[in-house]
Amino acid sequence: MATECKECKSFFPMNENPEKGDCVQRVVDPRQAYYKARPVDAGADASKCGTFSKK
Amino acid sequence: MAAEAAKDLSIQELEKEGQWWWIAEKKRSRRLDYLRKAVWKKGALGGNYAPGIKVDLEMPTLFTNMYNWWKYDPPMLRRAKALAHVLDNIGIFITDQAQLVGYFGSMPNTIAWRLDGASIVNEELYNEPGIMPEPEEESLKKVAELNSYWSGNTAVDKLARVLDPEDAVKFLSGAIGWGAPTSAYGYSGKDYEYIFAGRRGFLDIIEEIDANIEGAEDRTMGMPGPDILPLYERLQNWDAMKLILEAAIRYAGRYARLARTIAENFETDPKRKEELIRLAESCETVPAHAPQTFQQSLQYDHFIQIICRLEAHEGAWPARPDYYHWPMYDKDVNIEKNITGEEAMDLVGEFMIRAYEVGGFGPRWAREGLQGITGTWVWTLGGVNQDGSDACNDLTLAFLKAARLVRVSNPTFGFRWHPKVSDKIMREVFECIRHGLGYPSIRNDPLLIQNSMHWHGHPLEEARTWVHQACMSPCPTTKHGVQPMRMASATANCAKMVEYALHNGYDHVVQMQMGPRTGDARKYTDFEQLFSAWVQQMEWIMNTLVRTVNLGRFKDPEFYGRPFLSATYERAVESGLDAVSPVGERGNCWVTFFTWVENADSLAAVKKLVFDEKKYTMTQLMDALEANWEGCEKMRLDFVNGAPKWGNDDDYVDDLMIRCLREVARHSREMKCPCGNSWPALPENVSGNIHYASIVGALPNGRRLGDALYDGGISPGPGLDKNGPSAVLKSCGKIDHVGDGRAFLLNQRLSPTQMAGEKGYQLWKAYMRTWADLGLDHVQFNMVSDETLRAAQKDPEKYQEVIVRVAGYSAHFVDISRKTQDNIIQRTIQGI
Repeated sequence: MATECKECKSFFPMNENPEKGDCVQRVVDPRQAYYKARPVDAGADASKCGTFSKK
Repeated sequence: MAAEAAKDLSIQELEKEGQWWWIAEKKRSRRLDYLRKAVWKKGALGGNYAPGIKVDLEMPTLFTNMYNWWKYDPPMLRRAKALAHVLDNIGIFITDQAQLVGYFGSMPNTIAWRLDGASIVNEELYNEPGIMPEPEEESLKKVAELNSYWSGNTAVDKLARVLDPEDAVKFLSGAIGWGAPTSAYGYSGKDYEYIFAGRRGFLDIIEEIDANIEGAEDRTMGMPGPDILPLYERLQNWDAMKLILEAAIRYAGRYARLARTIAENFETDPKRKEELIRLAESCETVPAHAPQTFQQSLQYDHFIQIICRLEAHEGAWPARPDYYHWPMYDKDVNIEKNITGEEAMDLVGEFMIRAYEVGGFGPRWAREGLQGITGTWVWTLGGVNQDGSDACNDLTLAFLKAARLVRVSNPTFGFRWHPKVSDKIMREVFECIRHGLGYPSIRNDPLLIQNSMHWHGHPLEEARTWVHQACMSPCPTTKHGVQPMRMASATANCAKMVEYALHNGYDHVVQMQMGPRTGDARKYTDFEQLFSAWVQQMEWIMNTLVRTVNLGRFKDPEFYGRPFLSATYERAVESGLDAVSPVGERGNCWVTFFTWVENADSLAAVKKLVFDEKKYTMTQLMDALEANWEGCEKMRLDFVNGAPKWGNDDDYVDDLMIRCLREVARHSREMKCPCGNSWPALPENVSGNIHYASIVGALPNGRRLGDALYDGGISPGPGLDKNGPSAVLKSCGKIDHVGDGRAFLLNQRLSPTQMAGEKGYQLWKAYMRTWADLGLDHVQFNMVSDETLRAAQKDPEKYQEVIVRVAGYSAHFVDISRKTQDNIIQRTIQGI
């Protein structure tokens, strides 16, 4: 079975719709540190994601 | 001075040394220090982007996908849906310690690319090494794919097909002006009276739109007649406005969710957790509702600015933060004491930093014209209330203090001076100038209010709301006064007026017949023949630019359009028309006059040395100009030193300047904008004086092709003002700053040594009194010594934070080209 985004530590579901959520990651670049988010579907295929980390 | 050495010095010692940037580091809070240093500088360094800056491909990809998907929708609805898709899906981020959020790229080091504006800009992406995200090959492939979609379909591509071909070719030659006649690259004013003074959140506006839709639908379902026909299109526009406001609320909600996620899952510091929760509450309140706190007020403003920048490449930032955020500041700091002055200062400083980090991709010619920055974010401070009373307040002071702590080169301030401004405020204004920021510029408020009424008929109460629409031009923030689209292409390279008058309209640099054939200058027997040719060339240049821009404005709702901006404009929400439609706007246009003063100095030199003194013949002069003065150095120096120059209180040349301006003003009243109003001139330069150095040929003021042009709108040529600062002011005071044009930029350099201490302040104040008495509308100062600037040239690493006033904007000295640096050093330091 394919790995899905919802299995990842970076996935945070939306309260109003758990099938959708944010992929939230910590980034430290040469000037600043920040958290970034982008919307993802809970069931999206994460098998090729380089930052996937199982919950 | 090296950082290590600075750390050991006291603030008093650093003050004595004029090391203002180290003082700022020592005085500002840890939060501001972190946030200031966290910024990825987007301004181009003398034309090149800094290492690490990448073009953002997320927004263009998201936008294009959805724009293509909704291809059968009408223009505004289609654009709204594409922008909503961006707001719902673009990567967002929250920087550590931040209390305000919102950026228009998906990462802090990215610059936004406005890809639906002009193919000629899009193609420039291929010429910029290093800005493609890794893997570069994949990015280039994506850019090619996007460019292929937009080629022929951008706003300017569409406009070019309806322009007169001759106008299009001459406009695009780059010789007579710059810019792109579309709101894709404009500057939009914000209807602050509707949003902030009216205390409206987006849900309030949606309610108004719903009521308008209901009313219109009642009519379209009723009695048939021609009056209901325009409503069908307006109904779709209202749908677009509503859709984009809802998307904006969701966009803020995404930040709220991220802030809560960080607070609940990652953050361990309880104080920061609290801040993140407050940030989340802020984004849950605005823009949906009117702000309830000072933080929310700033956040609301920033969201509007950012979303506008996701909608169009905005080259300016018209704002009046001390006026529109004052009610919430007063409530939180003074009345309810919810936050301390220091906490408010952190918010004010961060508000400036959030604007400083904004940057979009611009073509090289635009970057050279605006070295070191990505647009002219000139925020307006001070001024009067609508009833004429003094509008300065504690927040005015806070912004002036914060500017010295964060020391950003963008935004800068334009301060609306009037006779009721208190000494306390004036001292803070002076401190900013003394600290070498180059800002605030000082604007003569009573005079500019009168000017707005004179040229554009803005009623007094509305004229009193004015903000800097870009660097210089005042514009009201009211329903019929606010300007949605400043078409930057109405920017004239004025030195071409005298150049074409001398060369029968032929341009030897671009090798094209540009202006009308006004005669062979070698055959001129008196000065009036030359002046008559000059008038014709001036009219031709202004006409060509304004014709192009007028058409761009007229066609913009069809070729581009601004759904989000429309949704924040009272007149657009009320009428259902796009904000960029000329209908309902009073008109506030102006033609920016780059490289203007060369005309007066050149005409005066010809008049004196050829026609009055008959020292040279026109043939000799034309031979010398055609040879770029080569082999004629003695003669050239005669034209530099032996002819009167503007800025010395010499009526010979000053009268010519006024005569030229009166001709321009006459013509300005004859030309009309699509709103039916005038097109007054506004002499200023940004760094166009450097950009045009290789485009303007040799001139009779002794300038050679390649030499930098003069730096200011009415500033004397560098080093040519030999009679002191009073003479400069007196020359400039001969201009009617109401009737002769829209505004007139004057650069002055003052000596930091002379301006030190209380004595320095009193000297400056006396100077400012003379300035006001003589009726000038603008002045701005550089107060950094030659020694510091030379040292910064020699050792730029140690002087990264030295700021200078370039023209209508400030920049970090190390970010501008060597030629611009030299041009600033050459400016006369006035002893007052």
